[in-house]
Amino acid sequence: MAMLPLTTESDAKRQVSPELAASYKRDLGIGEPFGFLRPWEKLLRGERLGTSAQGITGDELARKLSGSVGVGLMALPLALAWALGFALVRTQWRKGRWAALGDIVPALAFGTPVFIPALLFAPAVVERGHMLPELTAALVTSIWPGIFLGTLVGDSLETELSRDYVRTALGKGLAPSTVLRRHVLPNVLPALLDAVGPVATTLLAGSFAAERVLGLPYFGQLYVLAVLNKQVAVVVVATTTFASLLVVVSLGVEVLRHVVDPRSREARA
Amino acid sequence: MSGVPSRARWGLVLLVGLGVLSLVAGRLFPDWLANTCPLGVDPMRPDRTVCELAFGGLWVSLAVGLCAGGLATLIGLLVAAVARLMGGAWEQTLLRGVDAVFALPDVLVVMVLQLAGQSLADAGHSGGLGPFGLMVASLALVGWAGPARMFRNRLATLEGQEFVAAARALGGGGTHVLRVHLWPALRPFALAVFLSRLPTAILTESTVSFFGIARMEPMSLGRYLGTSYAALIYEGGSRVVLPAWALLVLLVLGASLASQALSASPRKAT
Repeated sequence: MAMLPLTTESDAKRQVSPELAASYKRDLGIGEPFGFLRPWEKLLRGERLGTSAQGITGDELARKLSGSVGVGLMALPLALAWALGFALVRTQWRKGRWAALGDIVPALAFGTPVFIPALLFAPAVVERGHMLPELTAALVTSIWPGIFLGTLVGDSLETELSRDYVRTALGKGLAPSTVLRRHVLPNVLPALLDAVGPVATTLLAGSFAAERVLGLPYFGQLYVLAVLNKQVAVVVVATTTFASLLVVVSLGVEVLRHVVDPRSREARA
Repeated sequence: MSGVPSRARWGLVLLVGLGVLSLVAGRLFPDWLANTCPLGVDPMRPDRTVCELAFGGLWVSLAVGLCAGGLATLIGLLVAAVARLMGGAWEQTLLRGVDAVFALPDVLVVMVLQLAGQSLADAGHSGGLGPFGLMVASLALVGWAGPARMFRNRLATLEGQEFVAAARALGGGGTHVLRVHLWPALRPFALAVFLSRLPTAILTESTVSFFGIARMEPMSLGRYLGTSYAALIYEGGSRVVLPAWALLVLLVLGASLASQALSASPRKAT
C-alpha cells in the first residue's frame, strides 16, 4: 500500500517559484507572436517541456497517451457488456415489482465517482502488477458508461419492438432473432452512435481518476500532476491532445453514422 | 406538492432531508455527532470522527452543488433567452458555441480553471473569490451549456403553442411574451434543469477535490476522501470511504429522481 499516491501538500505547490515563472515564460512564449505554439515546437524538436524534474518530452507524452487509450480500449468492451446485461435485466425488471431498480441502478452508477470503486479495489491490486491495475482501471471506468448505454439501448429497443414493422415481420413468419438482427438492431444503432461521444469522453476522463488512485503512470496521472505542480505548458499540450482525441472520436462517429444510417444521409441531402 | 409526481416528491424529500441532516448534525450539533459516531475516528486525523468529517463534507458538497447548479441554470436560461430573442443566423451561431462548450469534459476544464484561478490568486489577483467561490464559478462556467440547450429547445416548443401566437397577434413584444407568457410555463422545467445540474456539479467538484487540486476548506466530501484514503491500509479502513460514498450516492439519487420525474411530467411540460 505504500504505493498508493496519496495527495499531500507537497504535491500542491501553491506558490509560483522563480524557476517555474521562468519556465512559464520560456515554454509558453509569453509576449511573442504565435507564442502559444511554443510548447508544440519544443515537443517536436524533442526538447523537454516544463521544469526538468516534472517535465515531459514528446515521446513520453505519446507513451503515456497510448497507455491511457489502451485502458480506454479495454474499458470499451466491458462497457458494452455492462450495457447489454443491464438492458436485458431492465427489460425483465420493467414487468415485475423490481421496476424501481431500473431507475435506482443508473442513479447508483451515476452517483458513484470513478475514484470510489477504484479506492475499494486499490489495496488488493496496486502492488500486484501484471496488468491487474490496468484491468481494474478499465473495469471501474466502464461501469457508469455501460449502465448509461444500457439504459439508452434498452429504451430504444423497447420503442422499436413495439412498432408496426416488427409485428408485420413476425406476422410474415420471420424468426424473432432474424427480426431483431435484420430490422430492429439497424434502427437501434443510431441511438447507440449518439451516445458514443459522451461515453468516449467519460471513459477517458474517468480513466484520470482510476489512474491516479491505482498509480498507473499514464496520461491521466500526467495531467493531474501537471495541474498540481502548475506545469502550465504541459497542461496546455495535454489539454489540446485530449481535445484532439475527442474530435477524432466524434469525426469517426459521424463517418460511421453516415455509413450505417440512411436517415443522416437524407438529412444532409 | 399535490401536483408533483410521487418520484419527484421522494427525490425532493431525500435531498431536503440530507440538507437538513448535514446542517443539524454537521453544523449545529457537531459535538453530539462526535460523541455518538459509531464509525470511530478517522485513522488519518485522530482528533476527528468519520461522522463529523462525512457530514461536514456533505454540507460543503451540497452548498457547492446548489450554488454552482443555480448559477449554471441562470446562465443557461439567459443564453437561451438571448438566443431566442435574436433568432435566425445569430441564434444558430450562438447554439454552435453552446454545442462546443457542451462537448468539453467537465472534470478537465474545471481542473484547468482551478489552475488559472489559483495562479491568479497566488499573484494577488483573486478578485475576491475564495476557494469556494472559485469552485462555484468554475463549475458554472463549465455547466451552463447543457441548461442553455434544454431551455432553448423548451422555449422553441412553447413558442409554437397557440397562446403565444395569440399574445403575439395582440401586439406582445418578444420580452413581454417571454416574461408574461413563457416564464410561468418554463418555471417548473427550470427547477428540473437545476436539479439535473446538481449531481453533475457535486460529482465534478468531488473528483477535482479528490485529486487535491481544489483547496476547499472546510473539506468537501471529495477532498475528505482525497486526503483520507490512505486509511484503507488499516484494518477496517473502508469505514472511511463507505459513509462518504453512501452520502454522495443518496444526494445524486435524490436529485436524479426529482429531476427526471419533474422533466417527464406532462402537466409541467406544457
